[in-house]
Amino acid sequence: MRAARRIWARAMRDKYKAKNPRSWLCRFHVQTAGCSLTAQQPEINIVRTALEALAGVLGGCQSLHTNSMDEALALPSEKAVEIALRTQQIIAFESGAANVIDPLGGSYYIEKLTDDLEAEAESYFRKIDELGGVVKAIEQGFFQREITRAAYEYQMALSRRKKFHVGVNEFANPGQKLEIPLLEIDESVERDHVALLRRTKAGRDNGAVRDSLTALKTAAASGRNLMPPLLECARRYTTLGEISDALTAVFGKYREQPFY
Amino acid sequence: MAERKIKVIIAKPGLDGHDRGAKVVARALVEAGMEVVYLGLQQTPDAIVRAAVEEDADVIGLSILSGAHMSNFRKVRELMESSGLGDRLLTGGGIIPTKDQEELKKLGVGKVFGPGDDLQEIVEYIRVNARRVSG
Repeated sequence: MRAARRIWARAMRDKYKAKNPRSWLCRFHVQTAGCSLTAQQPEINIVRTALEALAGVLGGCQSLHTNSMDEALALPSEKAVEIALRTQQIIAFESGAANVIDPLGGSYYIEKLTDDLEAEAESYFRKIDELGGVVKAIEQGFFQREITRAAYEYQMALSRRKKFHVGVNEFANPGQKLEIPLLEIDESVERDHVALLRRTKAGRDNGAVRDSLTALKTAAASGRNLMPPLLECARRYTTLGEISDALTAVFGKYREQPFY
Repeated sequence: MAERKIKVIIAKPGLDGHDRGAKVVARALVEAGMEVVYLGLQQTPDAIVRAAVEEDADVIGLSILSGAHMSNFRKVRELMESSGLGDRLLTGGGIIPTKDQEELKKLGVGKVFGPGDDLQEIVEYIRVNARRVSG
């Protein structure tokens, strides 16, 4: 994040010639790492998430999402979500980590890591330029392959115990019983929602819905700002499915290329 | 007679975009010598089973982290039965509570995997349980 701020500021000022210094500020959101969560000994995910969140704050993030301890087991329970929120509040209001800007600035080790990361990122940017820019690189599957390769290599490193995942491939406690409550969602949720949709569709002005969808398609086809017609669709109780079908009819659908 | 490669469809039904696990598993199956048809995100049960019929797949693997596993696995299993793929393996993985795994088994779904399961274990499971066709 420290490296990202340097890169952003330089690119905005020098490459894109942004005149307003506020544009040189890189503001960003951080979410703790889903792939670090374990289904085994889920309580220890609280500790992982706290460390990751602290790193985000020390790096100067503007907003932060902390994962819940049970997300490798189910959609999060109210209890788990509350602990994730309290984790942020401890960092913000008890730890003092948010009292200064860039608390790690000047640490010889952090500065070196920042320099290294910045140089590595710059070499990626050169590579992307060589591929013809971001869109071309996506079409060629460059990003997709890089992300999947990293995920696969991480998984192999765990398998070979070159990397450790506490509670999974080291310090495991097989047979330990799960002692946290899990959120249960049964299929009645789907039934209730379908019933609600039916009621909504029966109770709205369907002529107005059709008009709002036609206006949306016209705007989409002419390349105009979609926000006003989208708001009009929402006011008429047009469903998300109807909106997305209308836009699909104009734009077509992204077909994912199998890069893995 | 050389044994035909095991052919596996990997797909993510519904709107859930977490494809890290599906892609890692797809890659591991390819490395293990299987043929993988990766359909990717936002697939409907209908499109998944149609692809399995066209490809004459031995295995369908679904990745679901959205909580919608019961209805998606059920729909895919039903379509497999009605499309002549009743003898093929339906397996998968994601964030699927143990209680639901038992329910899925009753619907004719094979083992479902989750976080912390070893890639090799998944590969072996598919190798042993895939419908074998020599050709």
